[in-house]
Amino acid sequence: MPQIPPQVQQFLDALVSTPPLEGYLVVGAILFAIGAWGALIRRNAVVIFMCVELMINGVNLTLVAFADYLPNAGGLGVSYAVLVIAIAAAEIAVGLAIVLAVFRSRRTVSVDEVTSMRG
Amino acid sequence: MQTVGQQLIITAIPTLPALVFLVLVLAGRLLKENAQYVAILGVTISLVFSVFALLFVAGIIPGGGAPIEFSVNWIDLGLGGSFPMGVYIDPLAAVMLVVVSFVSLMIQLYSGAFMEGDKRFAWYYAILNLFTASMLGLVLAPNFIELYVFWELVGLCSYLLVGHWFEKPSARDAAIKAFVVTRIGDAGLFVGIIIFWATTGSTAFTDISLAAQSGFIGGSLFTTAVILVFVGAVGKSAQFPLHVWLPDAMEGPTPVSALIHAATMVAAGVYLVARTYDIFVQSPTAMLVVAYIGGFTALMAATMALVKKDIKRVIAYSTVSQLGYMMLGLGLGNYTAGIFHLYNHAFFKALLFLCAGSIIYAMDSYNLFDMGGLRRRMPITFWTMIIAGLSLSGIFPLSGFWSKDAIIASAYDEHYYLLYGMALITVFLTAFYIFRAIFLAFTGEPRTAPASEAVESPGIMTGPMMILAFFSIVSGWAGIPEGFGLPIYDYFGAFVQPSEFAVSTLNIEQPAFSFVIGGISFVAALLGIGLAYTLYVAQPERAGALAARFSWLHTFLDKGWYFDALYGATFVRAAMWLGRATRGFDRDIIGGIVRDVGRGALGTGGLLQRLQSGAVQNYALFILLSVLVIGVIVGAQYAVLVVGLIALVTITAFAVGSRL
Repeated sequence: MPQIPPQVQQFLDALVSTPPLEGYLVVGAILFAIGAWGALIRRNAVVIFMCVELMINGVNLTLVAFADYLPNAGGLGVSYAVLVIAIAAAEIAVGLAIVLAVFRSRRTVSVDEVTSMRG
Repeated sequence: MQTVGQQLIITAIPTLPALVFLVLVLAGRLLKENAQYVAILGVTISLVFSVFALLFVAGIIPGGGAPIEFSVNWIDLGLGGSFPMGVYIDPLAAVMLVVVSFVSLMIQLYSGAFMEGDKRFAWYYAILNLFTASMLGLVLAPNFIELYVFWELVGLCSYLLVGHWFEKPSARDAAIKAFVVTRIGDAGLFVGIIIFWATTGSTAFTDISLAAQSGFIGGSLFTTAVILVFVGAVGKSAQFPLHVWLPDAMEGPTPVSALIHAATMVAAGVYLVARTYDIFVQSPTAMLVVAYIGGFTALMAATMALVKKDIKRVIAYSTVSQLGYMMLGLGLGNYTAGIFHLYNHAFFKALLFLCAGSIIYAMDSYNLFDMGGLRRRMPITFWTMIIAGLSLSGIFPLSGFWSKDAIIASAYDEHYYLLYGMALITVFLTAFYIFRAIFLAFTGEPRTAPASEAVESPGIMTGPMMILAFFSIVSGWAGIPEGFGLPIYDYFGAFVQPSEFAVSTLNIEQPAFSFVIGGISFVAALLGIGLAYTLYVAQPERAGALAARFSWLHTFLDKGWYFDALYGATFVRAAMWLGRATRGFDRDIIGGIVRDVGRGALGTGGLLQRLQSGAVQNYALFILLSVLVIGVIVGAQYAVLVVGLIALVTITAFAVGSRL
């Protein structure tokens, strides 16, 4: 059994151990930022919805991470996450219906061309 | 004490005409000319009830003999006091009730013919009844607040009736003038009431009198308050210097003038002084003011009446003058005489106006110099007007003699020789101007075609005139002084007396009847009639010559001593200027601010409109940016967070850049 160098051992330990809270938060933040970016710059309405999903999931990840980190919260974070998932589903249902309706009337899903609410 | 049923009867006196008003206002269009029957029914019942109140107070009805008094609490301020609504009928109020409802009934009978065919016939009757109701309510009031409510209603009704023919600009102006001028007096009255209320905590006449006796209010403040109350009376009763509205009020229908002059409106001022007599007697200064204003007004108005061409204006100035007599009587402390004159005056003045109305009805002109020779064509009008004129002049034994003589005798007995002289000259002038009008209208040859074709008015008009003529002769016989030697009891003098308190405060002996004083004023009146006969019947050319000889005096009198011009140049002008300034302020400053605020909102909206691009992603961007800004502000203390957010903002800025 070859002796494992301490640095490698340390790395392996880190791999198998629970990642710290910051990791989850950073991943969540990145997910959110990517989502926000996409929601702001993409023209295709369907893609925008996907990006919104990304943002929602970034938030969900954060909620769940905090739920684990703060056991005294009584699982409130997890239940919130479930709530958010449910609402996200509803939102997608309504949103996609709108997108379909827009597509039927205008033969396009590009949000730049749907500006009839201009003041 | 009176029973509940009797209280209901008393309450019905002003309520019935008020109900008639409501009925006529609501159903006037349906009733049309039938409105008069509703009105006459209501006021007849009021008259019957008023007579009941008089008999009750006089003690003829069992259980009576004392003033009727009852009230309910109207506004209760707890510790701050309370304002009751009630009824107080002493002999003074009882007499007034009967006079007001009687004269009102006569005038409503008469109006049926006079106003026939008027397009606002029912409305006219409605207001006539509201007028009567207000005056009856005013008479019943036991405190200042209740009195003030009815006082204002009376003013409103006179405004509406004077302006009944508001299509005519002169009628409209006269109505406004009547309203505004009396409002000046009302403002004084209101301030007086507030002073009394602030110092004594009560508005009831008796309470204020008692409070003044026990020293809660006194000195100059008390005198001021009393004089302010008198200012109210001056405005309503058209005394100098607020007399200018009454002659102009002749623009209303003639029966209305009769009502205003005889029973309602102008009597209210005299009645107010009489009602608050216990308060007035406590201020000798105020009493003197009342006496001198009254005496001066009597003389001044009589001179103005001398040269008027309009028959109604002659009678109008005569009213101002006679009201001056009443004020003079009250101010001199001869309460009974003042009220006695008010009561007699109601009959003969109403009659004079109805006679004038009859002439106007016959020939559709107000100008005395259009008339002439009407004696044969309108005999009833002629004889009733002669009776009214004799009564007004104070010719023995008609009613005017008794009351006027009592007032003049008071002035002499109390050594106010100036006032006595003014009153005596006024007697002479009164007889002259009223007989000038009568001679011009009825004697000689007709001056115009309508005058030569005039016919006597219908029976519904001459009937009330004859009834009033009867009262113009006999009403004074109720108060023949004992010193005269006739075996007739002085009912009026015994019935309408000042309170014991007023008598003891004034401490003056009421004058016994003097044949010398009475004889002098009688002779003065006869001289006046004689002069009128000389100038207008015997030698009519002399009148014109005199007028030409003293044309400056003629113009001065005809213009009413230039009071209208004076007020026009000062108060009216100042008020107009103030009005224009206010309008300018409102239009330019207030309106300007409002306009600018509106314009600013519009401009800001225009700017913000550009943000409303219709592109959803821009909105999302704004939301995000806003959240970031809020985050920066809220989390400013966390430097790390701030740095992170700035990074995000930068990223977003790039995002925006790539989008736009």
